[in-house]
Amino acid sequence: MAEDEQGAAERRARFEALAPQLVEPLRRFLARRTDSATADDVLAETLLVCWRRLDEVPEAALPWAYGVARLCLANAQRGARRQERLAARVAVVDPPTRSVPGPDADRGDPRLDEALAGLTETEAELVRLWAWEQLTPGEIAAVLDLTPNAVSIRLHRARAKLRDSLRKIDGAAGHEGSREGRTP
Amino acid sequence: MTDDELQQRLQAHDPAASLPPADPAWVARLLEDTMSADQSTHTDTDLPVETRESGTRHRSPLTWLVAAAAAVLIGGVGVFGLLNNDRESSQVPSAGLSAPVSEAPTVTVLAAGAPTQGRCMVPSAEVLANAQVAFAGTVDAVSADVVSLTPDRFYAGEVTDQVEVRSEPAMMQALVGAVDFQPGQRYLVAASDGQVMVCGFSGAFAPALESLYVAAFPG
Repeated sequence: MAEDEQGAAERRARFEALAPQLVEPLRRFLARRTDSATADDVLAETLLVCWRRLDEVPEAALPWAYGVARLCLANAQRGARRQERLAARVAVVDPPTRSVPGPDADRGDPRLDEALAGLTETEAELVRLWAWEQLTPGEIAAVLDLTPNAVSIRLHRARAKLRDSLRKIDGAAGHEGSREGRTP
Repeated sequence: MTDDELQQRLQAHDPAASLPPADPAWVARLLEDTMSADQSTHTDTDLPVETRESGTRHRSPLTWLVAAAAAVLIGGVGVFGLLNNDRESSQVPSAGLSAPVSEAPTVTVLAAGAPTQGRCMVPSAEVLANAQVAFAGTVDAVSADVVSLTPDRFYAGEVTDQVEVRSEPAMMQALVGAVDFQPGQRYLVAASDGQVMVCGFSGAFAPALESLYVAAFPG
């Protein structure tokens, strides 16, 4: 009993040392991929998984935690009650309300949205993990449960596809001067 | 467009760029909820009384047992307090404080809070600020029906030499499970209406939880 209690205290201490480093990156990860209500739910769920599976958390905890959050988010989005939220597809997610708009915040980048929407879900996720979470191919591999080699190749292709798509969209917008008049 | 340029364009479009950092108290509460959610789940499901008697009601019979025991205890504690201390009348009656001025050692008596059902409310210093008693202290002993603590700092409530959380064994088991009281360990404990607040408000002493207490009871 006493050993159990000591073990429990050690577990708590380990979690209390680990979790605060994960919360902020996870909040951002989720804010980029879903609405704020779902993000809060999934953050709580992700932390619970980290707590329950504390013994399995690897040295590089963050990519692992992103992977957990990604699965928890997928679960949440499968939920019947969340059909509406699912409609806000990740690639075209409404940006969270910007209380203090930055220089470009009010404009957004609809062409980038459009280009991202043209990627497959995996391609878009690779690009997001690279650009927003700023992970290395090795870390992305840990999130998506792929080999680093596969990530490098697929990320390279996804970036090329996105670049290509952006070039077309930007070019079309440049010629015609408005999004509405543009033909795909 | 180079990779760097592409990355910059994506980063300029980062939906999380404008996300303000989380409130530390909110994070502290979130982590505490995470660690206690699991334990209260175990407590709820592992107690035999739950499986034996559930079936007629959606609500756990333990809830009613605990509620009844708490009511009895609060009543008892209130009377105890009134008998011992005239100044009690100036305080919230249900706070269950008993702090004789002249006699030593003084003791604050609290009851175990009801174990949480379902999800906890959102952690906040505002809610914690409603606690009539809040202190940091070390557990001296845990027995079947009493947890005694030696407080070293009171954030709220009458300063006493000792604090005892009294409860009948079934409830105490739930409380000890929720807060994880262990002899020799230091805890932050808050009580509202004479009942120990669980669900993340009371727990092992940790910087995160302490910051919540400091935020709730400034000065």
